[in-house]
Amino acid sequence: MLGYYTHLAFRSFGRNPGITALMVLAIALGIAVCIMTLTVFHAMSGNPIWWKNDRLYAVTMDNWDPNQSFRKKHPDLPPPIMTYKDARVVASSDIPERKIIMYTVEATLSGVGAAPLRTDTRMTTGDFFAMFDVPFLYGTGWSKSADNPPQPVIVLSRKTNDTLFGGTNSVGRVLRWNDHEFRVVGVLDDWFPRPHFYDLIGGAFQPPEDAYVPFAWGPALELQSSGDTDCWKPETINNEADFLASECVWIQTWVELPDRATRQRMQSFLDNYWADQHRAGRFPRPRDNRLTNVAKWLRDNQVVDNDNRVLVGLAFAFLAVCLINTVGLLLAKFLNAAPVTGVRRALGASRRQVFLQHLVEVAMLSVLGAALGFGLATLGLAAVHHMYAAAHLGHRGGYQELMHFDTVGVFWAIALAIVATLAAGLYPAWRVGRMPPAVYLKSQ
Amino acid sequence: MNLHIRPIMSALLRNRTGAVLVALQVAIALAVLVNALYIVMQRMDKMGRPTGMDVGNIFVIQSAGFTARFNLKSSIQDDLAYLRGLPGVIAATPTNAIPLSGGGSSQGLVTVPGKHSTDTFGYYEVDEQGLDALGLHLVAGRNFRHDEIEPPITTNDASRFVHNVIMSRATAEQLFGKQNPLGKTVYDSIGQGATVIGIVDPAMNSWVDSDHADFVFYMPRVTSALYGGVRYMVRCRPGQRDVVLRLAEAHLATSNPDRVMHFVRPMTYFRDLSYLGDRSMGIYLLTVTGLMLAVTCLGIFALATFNVATRTKQIGTRRAVGARRSDVVRYFLVENGVITSAGILLGCVLALATGYYLSVQYALPRLDLYYLVGGVLLLWIIGQVAAWQPARRAAGVPPSVATRTV
Repeated sequence: MLGYYTHLAFRSFGRNPGITALMVLAIALGIAVCIMTLTVFHAMSGNPIWWKNDRLYAVTMDNWDPNQSFRKKHPDLPPPIMTYKDARVVASSDIPERKIIMYTVEATLSGVGAAPLRTDTRMTTGDFFAMFDVPFLYGTGWSKSADNPPQPVIVLSRKTNDTLFGGTNSVGRVLRWNDHEFRVVGVLDDWFPRPHFYDLIGGAFQPPEDAYVPFAWGPALELQSSGDTDCWKPETINNEADFLASECVWIQTWVELPDRATRQRMQSFLDNYWADQHRAGRFPRPRDNRLTNVAKWLRDNQVVDNDNRVLVGLAFAFLAVCLINTVGLLLAKFLNAAPVTGVRRALGASRRQVFLQHLVEVAMLSVLGAALGFGLATLGLAAVHHMYAAAHLGHRGGYQELMHFDTVGVFWAIALAIVATLAAGLYPAWRVGRMPPAVYLKSQ
Repeated sequence: MNLHIRPIMSALLRNRTGAVLVALQVAIALAVLVNALYIVMQRMDKMGRPTGMDVGNIFVIQSAGFTARFNLKSSIQDDLAYLRGLPGVIAATPTNAIPLSGGGSSQGLVTVPGKHSTDTFGYYEVDEQGLDALGLHLVAGRNFRHDEIEPPITTNDASRFVHNVIMSRATAEQLFGKQNPLGKTVYDSIGQGATVIGIVDPAMNSWVDSDHADFVFYMPRVTSALYGGVRYMVRCRPGQRDVVLRLAEAHLATSNPDRVMHFVRPMTYFRDLSYLGDRSMGIYLLTVTGLMLAVTCLGIFALATFNVATRTKQIGTRRAVGARRSDVVRYFLVENGVITSAGILLGCVLALATGYYLSVQYALPRLDLYYLVGGVLLLWIIGQVAAWQPARRAAGVPPSVATRTV
């Protein structure tokens, strides 16, 4: 029966090729725009370390100005980064299973034959790699004993290792980092968490850093952050010691807490420390010490911006127009062919069969539309990718990396095709099935 | 002129599904069109703001010394001498940050020492060629003199302020209101003062998304290398930028083995990157809105065609009993007008609701009603244009059709 309905549908398409093409195109455009928007939206709203969502927490303490909040537009949020003294206290706690404090610097790699290489280097502590499940190609990260006092050890990204060592195993090799000798202990495998959840300053979709060095080298060599440094308190900061003792925030702090009990202990640890400091005259704002999991962290920091939400709304409004358009066309087409349907009904086809027959026709339209829409979306994403990559705009922000199809795109295409069929086809198919056959047999 | 609304309405009401669908499309299309255009216009206004700078003719070089041998002072002197000697260069300055780039430094300024600053102002360390190198227009006061340029801050005096500043008019108005700012003193957070010697207008800082992108001032100081290297901004004569840029890149990359080049890029690169989100949002909104109008237009056209096709006999009858061709055309256009108007009415409500929702949810400014008026007119015209061809076809139905038994 289905085969016969399919055959009928093809015959029907042939009768009005123009209208058929128009309907397929409308469905295709609606689906294409939706897939494109949703692909980008999905990539933006992803949690790249969801399996540790109940273990990883960003630590923040509101040390800000009593007169105004850190973010004027979001007064409820504390600074996303910490002062050196507070970060050090968190790093000294034994409660978390793992803990890191970190920031980024611009540094130069030299001494390995090739021309000096400018890098973004992450100054971090040894737990970084295990905490974020960072994959290694060669070697490993450094042990905690290398954190303090800092040992001259460095981990390279795969890309940096390719550039400097032609991709060979460079573990044990010595190079110069900011003109100091450092020994390579590990090389990362390909790793590109999107969004760049552990540090959202400077773009949520930037690639991870080129090199990783123990945190304590930063203060020791007086290296300023290439990320954000924010200060609110009028204080004289002439040298590094002043800076480290100041209320300036610049350090990202993360802890790994295996269960609820540890989390509560960590929270009271922060609150007790806050109370001590508050008594000593610090922390002039109301107490706001937070342990924020990754999902909430991404929301708080507005990785998905308002534009993307508006675009998703727009895409669905557009799909609605396309589907309403298709309903109208289908209705017109089916009613136009009502005399033929009338003959079929008179010859014994049940209402259900007529309904099914027309629904098959709509389903085929939708499948065609979805296929074409998928193609259009691929082209559209390629065009947007090109737009971002053009003029070398791609290197920062990494938005072009979002313009790739994934299984989600396919899933949405199929889901939307089904929705389109049901939304656009049910009513016309029902209307035509309900028509009394006699009317159409009378005068023909 | 009698539009014969009543018979049209009664015909419509008897066969309403198609009409309702078209009206719905028109309504959604209007709501989207009006709000999308409004957002696009805001973005275009934002991107079109005067920067006060000669953005198209400026390029930026960033490099950093990475060995202990590297001498910042002599390196900057050598580089500036070379850059300023290049044919086609108007001016060059070292600077701590690139305006419009999204990166840079800002600090609070107050007019009474010790007072709390609620605003922050982007600042740029430049030398006596700074204003020229940016192409800024001095509207009052004077430029920095060579002997006023102060040495770079170091890790021993990082809080040191300057003695003179030049500021944007917006900065001056924020600090001093209507008073003449020239000769007045501004203070940093720890009470160090500087005299205002010049006013530029317009001007912009690094943060194009900020509410106060025109809060900016300039310090007469050689930039330090503390924050990721040394940057130069070089302004060239029109058409010379790309030639000069390549020469400068080749020279600076090899002239000093103790430093590494970070990049040489036209200033337009940074501006475009900062506006990338606005630009792509605009393009996307316009594309989808255009497609939506096209689909709606086709929908109107298809419904009108269908209506004409199913009423051939009635049209013939009307013609046979005396209706003119123009009466038939008018019938269909009025019918379309009724449907479109109903859609537009609903669309206005939808548009206002959407605009209100966007303004509340996403803190966008409230919809400007002129856009609604424009959108209504546009959709009405689109409706009439889409129905025109089917209406003409209907007018072509000969009266003799009525006498035939179909």
